[in-house]
Amino acid sequence: MGILQHFAECKSLVDYLKTLSNHVVDDLFGYPAACLAIFRELPKLAQNYVLRILYVEQAIPQAVISTWVSKAHVKEHSEAAEAISTLRVWKEVTMQGGLAGWMLDHKFRHNLKVALLGGGKQWTKSTNLDQDSKPRTVKDLDLYALERWEAMLHFLTEKQQKSDTVSKDTIMTLTHAGLMEQDENNAPSITNEGFQFLLLDTASQVWYFIVKYLETVEQRGLSTAECLAFLFSLSFATLGRDYGTEGFEDNMQQFMQHLREFGLIYQRTRKAGRFYPTRLALNLASRNNKISLDTEKHKTGFIVVETNYRLYAYTDSDLQLALVGMFTDFLFRFPNLVVGVITRDSIRQALRSGISAEQIISFLKMHAHYEMIKTAHINNPLPPTVVDQIRLWEMERNRLTFTDSVLYNQFLSHRDYEVVRDYAQETGVLLHGSDQKRTIVVKGSGHDDVKRFWKRHSKNSS
Amino acid sequence: MVNVTKGVLVECDPAMKQFLLHLDEREALGRKFVLNDLDETHLFVSADIIKVLKEKIDELLDKISVPVHE
Amino acid sequence: MEVESNLLIVVIDVNPAQKYVRSDSKQFFNCVDSVLTFCNAHLMLQASNKACVIASHINQSHILYPIEEREGVTLKPIRQVDGQYEVFLELEKSVRSQIKKFVMSDAFTSFDSTRSADSSGNFTTCLASALGKALCYINRKERELTAGEKLNSRILVVSGSSESTAQYMSFMNVFFSAQKLGVIIDACVLGPYATLLSQGADITGGIYLRPPHIPGLLQYLLWVFLPEASLRKQLALPPPVPVDYRAACFCHRQLIDMGYVCSVCLSSK
Repeated sequence: MGILQHFAECKSLVDYLKTLSNHVVDDLFGYPAACLAIFRELPKLAQNYVLRILYVEQAIPQAVISTWVSKAHVKEHSEAAEAISTLRVWKEVTMQGGLAGWMLDHKFRHNLKVALLGGGKQWTKSTNLDQDSKPRTVKDLDLYALERWEAMLHFLTEKQQKSDTVSKDTIMTLTHAGLMEQDENNAPSITNEGFQFLLLDTASQVWYFIVKYLETVEQRGLSTAECLAFLFSLSFATLGRDYGTEGFEDNMQQFMQHLREFGLIYQRTRKAGRFYPTRLALNLASRNNKISLDTEKHKTGFIVVETNYRLYAYTDSDLQLALVGMFTDFLFRFPNLVVGVITRDSIRQALRSGISAEQIISFLKMHAHYEMIKTAHINNPLPPTVVDQIRLWEMERNRLTFTDSVLYNQFLSHRDYEVVRDYAQETGVLLHGSDQKRTIVVKGSGHDDVKRFWKRHSKNSS
Repeated sequence: MVNVTKGVLVECDPAMKQFLLHLDEREALGRKFVLNDLDETHLFVSADIIKVLKEKIDELLDKISVPVHE
Repeated sequence: MEVESNLLIVVIDVNPAQKYVRSDSKQFFNCVDSVLTFCNAHLMLQASNKACVIASHINQSHILYPIEEREGVTLKPIRQVDGQYEVFLELEKSVRSQIKKFVMSDAFTSFDSTRSADSSGNFTTCLASALGKALCYINRKERELTAGEKLNSRILVVSGSSESTAQYMSFMNVFFSAQKLGVIIDACVLGPYATLLSQGADITGGIYLRPPHIPGLLQYLLWVFLPEASLRKQLALPPPVPVDYRAACFCHRQLIDMGYVCSVCLSSK
C-alpha cells in the first residue's frame, strides 16, 4: 500500500515540488533549467498566462486576467490560476485601490527569460570541450544504462545477495525507500512494495528512486535545490552529446558518481572531464514520458496476451522473466520465447504477495508487443476478457470483509437506542445500526468510549 | 439492561450471506457461529471462527470456479 | 497513453521589397528576432513540440530549419554560450545563418529588378510555394510517426508583401489541401490587406491578424498565435475579420465581382 500511496502523492514533478519547503523552491528559481522544467509542468492555459505577463514587471489585477478567457471556460481559468499559485510561480498582492492582483515571482521571471532568450551562466561548462577521442554512440549509452538499471533491479529480486554488485549508498537508498528491509540474517531482502516497484514502468521507477534519493541528500551535505537543478539540466540535454564536468564542487562530483552508478550518466573514468547523459536521465520530469531502452536482448514491448489466457514473452532476459513469472505459470521455454498461461492460481499467488490487479494489468499494457498495439489500440492493447477476469479474481478475494466489533442489542426503549446510535455516529465508530431490531454494531476500538457514554447517560436519566 | 457481545461484523453480498447461514445450520465448522443476522448484507459472527471460515470460503470458491483454459 | 506533439511551421517573408522593410530596414531584424523568440516559446511549452522555419523570397522558397543532414558531413554541435537552453540557441543560430546564406545567394544578388514586379510596381513573394513545402514537410512527419503518437500541425505566415492574384490557383490548392489534412493556417500580415491569406485563414480555421504596431510584433505573436487549437476555444481572441471572398478570373488573374462559371470544372472567368 505504501508505494501506491506514495505514488499517488508524488506522481509527478508538480506534486513533488509541493512537498518542498519554501526556501528550497526559492533557491530552485535561481536556476534557468529548473524554471524551464517547472514551466513545462504547468497546464497549457497557465503556460499561456505566464508567457503573456512574462514581460510585465508589475502586478496585474485578477479581474483583467479573468477577462482573457471566454465566459464558458471559467472553470479552466480557475484551475490554471490555482496551478500557478500552488507552484509559487506567482503570488497574490493587493494593488493600489484595493484590487487583488497577481505578480510573477521576479526570480522565476528573470531565469525563465534567461532560458528563453539568453544571458546568465551556462548550465554546464561545455563550450570549450574538444572532440571526444572515443565518442559513445546512442546504442552504447542505452546498453550501459540498461545494464546499470537492471543490475539494481536484479539486486532486488535475487534471493542471495552478492553485495559487491551494488554499492552501499544504493542499498541505503533502497532501504530508505521501503523497497528492501533487513531480514533475520541481517541481509537485505525485498518487501511487498519492492514487488510493486518492479512492476512499474522504467520512467516511474527512475523518478520514484530519484525522489527517494533526494530525500537523503541533505544528510550528505548537498543542497537539494542544486541537485534538483542539475537533474533538470540533465533532463534537457541532447542524447548522444557529451558535456563537461569542470566547475562542479566536490560534493556535486560525488552526486555525479552516484548518478553514474544508477545509470543516469555515463563517464568513462572517474576523472574524465566529460559525461554523457543516458536515456534514463532525459525528460526526467516530463509527464508523458515513456522510456524505451531497447537492445538486442531486451525489448520493452515483448508480451503478447491471447484471449485464451496464453501469454508469450519474447525475451531472454532473466529479470523480465522473473517479473512475468510473478503472475503466470510457465509452460515452455525456448531460446528467445517463453510460453506461459495466466491462471486463477498464478494470479492469486501474485495477489497474496501484495501486488494488485491494476498493477499487473498496467505492467502488461506497458510491455505489450508492437503487434498487439497495432491491431488493437494504444489505450487497450490487451484482450478485454483477460483484463476483466484478472480484476474479477481480485474482487473474489474481497467478497467478505471482516471487522472486529461489538454488538449492542436488547435496548429497553427506542429512545435509548437512538441516543447511543447518534453518539456512535458522531464519534465515527458506528458500523451498522438496525432500527427494527434495535441493534447497534460499533468498532472494537470504540467500545470503551460508548460504554462510558452509556453509563453516564443511564445515570443521568435514572 | 443492554446486551453487549464482542465479535466480528461480516459484510458481503446476499448470495455469500446465504452460504454462511448454510454453513452455520449444518454446523460444518464444528458449531454454530452466527450470533446475529443483521440485514441482507451483514452478519455478526464469533471472532475465533474466522480463520476456519476463510479456509472454507476458499474451498468453496475453488470448487465453483471453472478453469478458463485447457 | 497517446503522446501528442505539436508542429509549428513559420513561413517568413524575406522579400526586401516589403513596404515596412523599405521604410525602415532595421524593422526587418526586429521581426526576425520576434519570430525566433516566438518559435522558441512554442518549443518551450512541451518537450514534444517541434518547429520548422521556411523563408519565402521573390521567386523561391527554402526550408531554413531544421537543417537536413547530409551524408559524410557531421555538424559541430552547438554549445551553450550562456544560460539559454541549447535547443533554442541552435534554432536561432541556424536560422540566422541560413537566412543570410539564402538572401545572399546568386539567385537574388544578380536579380533584375524590373522583371517580376506586377503592374503596380509591387514585388510579390513566393508564398504558395513556401506553403506547399510546409505541407510536404508535415506529410513527411506524419509518416514517420510510430504507433501511439499523434501530430497536430499548424502554419503561421508572417508576411508584408502585397498579393499577386497570379498565384490564386496555387493558393486555393494549398488551402484546400491544408483543410483536408487538418492543418490550420494563421496569417500575420505586416503590410496591406491580404485577400488570399484571409480567405485561407478562414477556410482552415486559422486567425488573420494585422498588428497595428509592428515593433510590438512579439507581443501579438505570443498573445494570439501561440495557443494551440484546443486552447484557442477557451481564450478570448480577436474576432474574425470579414473576408473578401471574391474569386480571381482564371485567364486574366484579376479579382472579379461578377463573371461566368464553367458548368463542368467551375472555373470562373
